[in-house]
This record gives sequence, structure tokens and C-alpha cells, in this order.
Amino acid sequence: MTLTIGDSLPDATLCYWGENGPATVQLSEKLGGRKVVLFALPGAFTGPCSTSHLPSFMRTAEAFKAKGVEEIICLSVNDPFVLGAWAEQTGATAAGITLLGDADGSFTKAIGMDFTAPPIGLIGRSNRYATLVEDGKITAVSIDEPGVCDISTGERFLDAI
Amino acid sequence: MTIAVGDTLPDATFVRMGPDGPEAIQLGDIVRGKKVVLFGLPGAFTPNCDAAHVPSFIRTKPQFEAKGVDAIVCVSVNDAHIMRLWGVNSGATEAGILMLGDADSSFTKAIGMEFSNPKVGFYDRSKRYSMLVEDGVVTILNEEPATGQCEISAGGTLLDQM
Repeated sequence: MTLTIGDSLPDATLCYWGENGPATVQLSEKLGGRKVVLFALPGAFTGPCSTSHLPSFMRTAEAFKAKGVEEIICLSVNDPFVLGAWAEQTGATAAGITLLGDADGSFTKAIGMDFTAPPIGLIGRSNRYATLVEDGKITAVSIDEPGVCDISTGERFLDAI
Repeated sequence: MTIAVGDTLPDATFVRMGPDGPEAIQLGDIVRGKKVVLFGLPGAFTPNCDAAHVPSFIRTKPQFEAKGVDAIVCVSVNDAHIMRLWGVNSGATEAGILMLGDADSSFTKAIGMEFSNPKVGFYDRSKRYSMLVEDGVVTILNEEPATGQCEISAGGTLLDQM
């Protein structure tokens, strides 16, 4: 499958870096009865993800909240330790972004957004996309072409919703 | 099957960050005709790896060199971006330790060192071990009984065995 307006996102067990270290949360708990922006990227500390994609949502977090978005989730196929280090380095948590990890890539595969690029060591990672999810249903979606960080950035997606 | 003393290491393609981005590096090119210390661990930025295992090799690197070791290699199932930043943050890169990513876990699986722990988001990661490799053959091997420990696989232990 791919991401289509009107579809419900499958549930998933996702990891994050909590106050006491690695923790997990069900995606359905984040989405049920709420308006959430979920955007995804190939990986923590990778070039465009750290320098463009994540910062674009940090800049626009307040504007999304003004449109009724209750939480902005950044999803990547990474473990919670890496996400903790990434949050610290980027200031994402303080900027109001929730970093969640699809550690085994199962959610990313289930929605058909996975890709593998062995020469750069990215195996079963996520394509770059942004979705608006209302009570678990996709109401807006922008999927970037591989290697591009354009229509799924915070500013572009904000204009799209 | 787990690797043992006397076995020849399988070749492997690791990733690391080069001047122009991620690049591949062959294990065979590193170990051939050389005396190499290779240690594996569960993951970048994890508490024991960061606070104990990597520092134990940073501290002992000069003593390994005095014993004829040509290179010290840290292997983790992570990508090149993560290994680069971890190498810088931990001081390992400055100390001259090669930080290599076994991104698809194929080397880790080939030597029988993989494990998974979904509760902390680990899939096909590396157990904690250290080894001395001489011209591609494992001559000393220390596998930590539990990945949360860092004792027999630490730099000082291997140094004492040489």
C-alpha cells in the first residue's frame, strides 16, 4: 500500500527516548481522537533530515498548533538511543517535536514507504513524507521523491493543509 | 555459528563517513597482513557502549600499539551518519579508532553475534565482544556473557591477554 487520503494508518509499536531511557508507545494512542502531523525521514543525523526536514517542522510547530494540530511526530527507522542523542543535538523536543522510532521498520514497510540503499548503509529506512492524521485517518499527505526534501517540509505542508 | 579462535573472519563490507559522504570499506583490506583489534557492541549512544566499552579502547590504544597492533576497529549495526557523529562525540575518532557500521548486520550475523531486544528497539544488533585478529585469523576472542556488561570484552582485558 501507499499513503492515501481517507485511509486509516495501521497501529504500530514505536520507540522513543523517555525520561528513564528507552520506552515504547502505540501509534494508535497518539492518533485516537486527535489531530496529528506525522512526518517521516530516512534517518537521524543524515544530511537533509538534520539540516532541512526536521528544522522545517521546528520552525513551523507553532503555526501547525494554531491550525489545531495537537502533536507533531517525526518518525524514522532508528533506535531510542539514537533518537535521544538526536533530540539533544537538534533541540527538537524543546521545539515541540516528538521523535519516534520505527526500530524494526515494520510500520514503514506496512505503509509501503520503505527503501534500501546499501552503498550508504540505509537498510529498510523510510521515504520522506508528511501526513495530517485526524482520529487515525489520513486527511492530507505529501510524499517526496527519493533524495528530495521539498513538498514534505514544514512550510510546504503547512500551506497544503 | 559463532566465530571461534582459529577461525578466519569472513570478509564484510562496512560503511563509514568519507570526505564525500558515506563510503564502503572492506574488512579484508583492514585485516590482511595486519594485527587488528576488533570490538563489537550493541549500538551508538547506548550507555554501556558510550560510557565504558569505547573509552576502554581509547585509554589503552597506545599500549595496544606498543604490542604491535596496527588498527583498532569498532563495529556496530548502525549507519555511517550515526557512526561518524558518535565517533566525534565519544572521542574515538580523534583517538584513531575506526568507527565502522555493519549497516545490514551481515557481518554480525556471519560471525554469530547478532541479538534482538525489541523492548529497546534493537533488531539484529551486535553482542558485546572483543577480538584480536592476525592476518584475518581470530587469535583471541572475548564475548561478554550479557550485553549489559562490559568487563571481559573491555580493552584492558584484551591487553592483559596479549
